Amino acid sequence: MLKAENIKKKFTKITKKKEQIEFYANNGISIEAHDGEIIGILGPNGAGKTTLLRIIAGILEPTSGSVSFDNLNYQDNETEIKKNIAYLSGNTKIYNTLSCYELLHMCADIYGVKQEDAKTRIEKISQTLDMNSFLYNRIGSLSTGQTQRVNIARCLIHNPKYYILDEATSGLDIISSQIILNFIKGEKQKGKTILYSTHYMEEAENICDKVIMINKGIIIAEGTPAKIKKDTQTTNLRDAFFKLIEGDKNEE
Amino acid sequence: MKNNVFNILKKELREMFRDKKSLAMMLVIPIFIPLLVIGMSALFESQMNMPITDYNRIGFNYELNSVEESIIDDLEINPVYDTEENLKEQFEKGEIVLYVTKNNNVYTINGDDSDTTTYASSLVESYFQIYKDYLQTDYLANHNVDPSEVLNIITLEENIVTEDNFFASYVTNYAFFFIIMAITVSATYPATDATAGEKERGTLETLLTFPIKSKDIIIGKFLSVSLSSIITGVLSLVLAILSLKIANNMFKKKKKIDLMLSSSSLIFALIVILAYSFLISGLCIAIASKSKTFKEAQSALTPLTFISFFPGMIAFMIGITTTNVYACIPFLNYTLIFTDITSGNINFIHILLMLISTVIIIIVILKIIIKQYKSERVLFG
Repeated sequence: MLKAENIKKKFTKITKKKEQIEFYANNGISIEAHDGEIIGILGPNGAGKTTLLRIIAGILEPTSGSVSFDNLNYQDNETEIKKNIAYLSGNTKIYNTLSCYELLHMCADIYGVKQEDAKTRIEKISQTLDMNSFLYNRIGSLSTGQTQRVNIARCLIHNPKYYILDEATSGLDIISSQIILNFIKGEKQKGKTILYSTHYMEEAENICDKVIMINKGIIIAEGTPAKIKKDTQTTNLRDAFFKLIEGDKNEE
Repeated sequence: MKNNVFNILKKELREMFRDKKSLAMMLVIPIFIPLLVIGMSALFESQMNMPITDYNRIGFNYELNSVEESIIDDLEINPVYDTEENLKEQFEKGEIVLYVTKNNNVYTINGDDSDTTTYASSLVESYFQIYKDYLQTDYLANHNVDPSEVLNIITLEENIVTEDNFFASYVTNYAFFFIIMAITVSATYPATDATAGEKERGTLETLLTFPIKSKDIIIGKFLSVSLSSIITGVLSLVLAILSLKIANNMFKKKKKIDLMLSSSSLIFALIVILAYSFLISGLCIAIASKSKTFKEAQSALTPLTFISFFPGMIAFMIGITTTNVYACIPFLNYTLIFTDITSGNINFIHILLMLISTVIIIIVILKIIIKQYKSERVLFG
């Protein structure tokens, strides 16, 4: 089980007048994700989704609060936790000078996949994601969609238990997006836990078991898509989100 | 842990060897060393072997007697006789190298400070010395005095025990100095690319999601940059030896100048190169990893490039000798110890102190970078 408790993350912004302004990108966010669950993290740009997912992936340290995976925390078990995580964002960049095969082999080595298993896994993943035609090409020569498929392959190589996907379909064409959505559904069926942030509400509504809506660093709604729609008396998550934001604006 | 250091090293080397700019920095700069060594040697050779016809056309505003004519004939001076005004005009046109004027019993050598005038002056000085000796001997003989008793009251002999091979040490020291410069330049590009470049390209975030400790990432990167510097250093040393060998053949027969280092000197030179490669790689990574962009890192590394040259250059120019303290001061120690090596004064304590100080500095640098790599300000600042 993945558990994030009361996550707060403070950043300091320096204005043009050289004044330091402190603000909270996350201000007391808690999440619980059970095995085989897809949790959607929804919110507009600047809501704090990326910061939250970076903290959960162990790239950033929270100002306060804690993150644990199966009762292991980052302070004592960082390497152990990271071995069970795959982090993928729409902005994730990979090494252009390496070939897809070299990258996947390097990832297999880093995650401790046995040499004899690594080759088989690469072949299998390449088959699944239809990468055979460009497996030995340099990543720098691939299209955006192909590169994102390599990124997914990178995430699959160590058969992780947890997926942290931040705007993974952002900027992709409909076919590449569908490949990622199919991949998420497939992994859920295998009992994997997936945190999935997006600003495409329809996408989240289709695949997520539970949705967490964030705005300005705090949770504004939480539950199954059906529950959120019912609570806000709307027919889709987009409308529900706007209704919740509207309330927030009125309060301002 | 070792495995992940190796994985990072392998990744960095693949990126480095596939990047044309990194390769150029690593392999092209050493090519300048033979140009420097052979160029300096050729310049020296041309100055030492200037043909006499280039500087033996000398003007006189007075008639030479038969004795003087015989002397200048022996010295292969090609005399031009004319008035002072005409000789001056010929000198300005470059038709004569210098001219000698005589007013009463005062002789004046007229010329400039060019190399040819210097050589011509030495010819004229020889002519006057021989003529003066002749006149003195003749005068004493006419007065029934044995010239040898007056002119050779004391006997001075010169016995040069060790030949001061100034030119050889000059060329070899500059060759090594250029090796240091080549290593510095070679370290800056891959260090920038592996740190600020990786940050700018966005791949650092990906790297940080892997189950690798920041210590392993830094050591892997440090080793790859060091390897690049060592390749440049060793290649530079090989080219320096080859070019010194070529230059050696230009002088050995005529001037007895030996530019070659002994095999033990070469081994110690290699040790200095290795130590310097590790030190400069660590420093470059430490500075570049604080920068957000490639450009910013290059600007930040520029002062280091100068700092790495100056202490050694100043020490070399003003002739500082190595002491135990100087052997511990980075940058200064490498040049001083190498100067000692080229002049055959290998001091094991100095070399040991240099190695100890280098290892301590590298450990401190690596610890600082590893700490930096945990800081969000460095990664996302």
